[in-house]
Amino acid sequence: MNAIETKNLTKKYKNKTAVDSINLTVGEGELFSLLGVNGAGKTTTIRMLSGLSTPTDGEAFINGKSCKTKIDEIKNIIGISPQDTAVADNLTVRENLDFMASIYYADKETINEKIEKITSIFNLSEVEDQKAKTLSGGWKRKLSIAMALISEPKVLFLDEPTLGLDVLARRELWRAIEALKGKMTIILTTHYMEEAEHLSDRIAIMISGKIKACGTVADLEELSGKKGLEEAFVAIAERGMSENE
Amino acid sequence: MNKIKAFSTRNRKEILRDPLSYIFCLAFPLVMLIIMSVLNASIPKQANMTVFRIDNLSSGIAVFGQTFVMLFTSLTVSKDRSGSFLVRMYATPMKSSDFTIGYITPMIIISFFQNVIIYIASFIISIITDVDLNIGGMILSLIILMPSAIMFICFGLLFGTLFNEKSAPGLCSIIISLSGFLGCIFFDADSTGGAMLKVCKSLPFYYCTKSARACVKLDFSAGAFIIPIVIVIASAAVLGCLSSFVFKSKMKADLS
Repeated sequence: MNAIETKNLTKKYKNKTAVDSINLTVGEGELFSLLGVNGAGKTTTIRMLSGLSTPTDGEAFINGKSCKTKIDEIKNIIGISPQDTAVADNLTVRENLDFMASIYYADKETINEKIEKITSIFNLSEVEDQKAKTLSGGWKRKLSIAMALISEPKVLFLDEPTLGLDVLARRELWRAIEALKGKMTIILTTHYMEEAEHLSDRIAIMISGKIKACGTVADLEELSGKKGLEEAFVAIAERGMSENE
Repeated sequence: MNKIKAFSTRNRKEILRDPLSYIFCLAFPLVMLIIMSVLNASIPKQANMTVFRIDNLSSGIAVFGQTFVMLFTSLTVSKDRSGSFLVRMYATPMKSSDFTIGYITPMIIISFFQNVIIYIASFIISIITDVDLNIGGMILSLIILMPSAIMFICFGLLFGTLFNEKSAPGLCSIIISLSGFLGCIFFDADSTGGAMLKVCKSLPFYYCTKSARACVKLDFSAGAFIIPIVIVIASAAVLGCLSSFVFKSKMKADLS
């Protein structure tokens, strides 16, 4: 069974089509990237898949469950780290994790167990008593992802997780994301080529709401006839934009 | 239930860790209590003006303090809405009722303890000024003040849901001013009478103060207590339903 499947998934806002009839399949345990420039429809796609936006047309399935009819069940098996770091500023790192864990679990022992586990994965112990508002951008982003992971989701959505981070913080976050590979399905949106290339099993290139190409880096290179993901992306994007015109 | 508890705890901590909440919700009402008590001492007895006497002032200031809890409710909700925090929470199994209960419950608790502190300060002032203040009436009044607390908190939830973090506090300040004057906290509309009294009686704030004052004096007559408290409870129920409905509608619109 595919972890994610979309059938002609479409989102329209008045006169603008943000996502235009996309068809995707993502396997279990795969790290799948949606790559595109700003306004390509990456975030809207993630919002529809995570139940934060209702598709105008088409359907999406998470672990075989329809996003239209089984969204309450889906919410129990997904985690999302939004583009802006969505943390409770006046709570400490540990309290933020405790808060998210308490949404999913009732037993205090289980909650503490989950907190210890995620703190260790993301090396959060050194800042666990610090209020979230005092953290640097990198630590905040790590906390935001850790909060999304506390419920041990089957599918994790990371919306531009390294946006605005310096190179060291970005590399550290990459290592954390790499450590999750294979343990769950991860959908990552980014407009950083090296990030998509470094982390992804497969990449979909989105241009103006449409998926113009999908595959491994080698597949995309072959499709575009260019060497390197950046060159391949530019070639596919330019071709896609001229087709739209 | 654990979802509501977790969300309530988060909201309580967010507010109690904001130093401004102590300044507005506690320090400011206490300062007003002291200033008005000093003012009361300067009013000649012949004037027969008792609105600032501590047995009247204590419950008025308690209601006044609740308006600042409304302000912080609106700030918390509007801040959560303007950032990505609620987006994250919408992707969890929480329902709109979990959010509204989670916002309202900690504010009720904060308001309760705020009123306890205001009444303790009032009791001290009553000893200094040698005015009889009924302890039993004050304790009972803490419970009687809860419907008005819920009403103001629901105002805050409503404004925080409908407006952004810049507009919501502005609208709350209108309610704060209205409740101060038309709630008869800082002037005696019953003595003034006329159109002013009619305006006061057309808004729920007047009844919040009137029912709490009557309770402190253990006056449970229909005119002084029963009718006012029924109006306050009805207003709280209406605003509770309205704010929950608006939050649910906004959440639905956000997720469309």
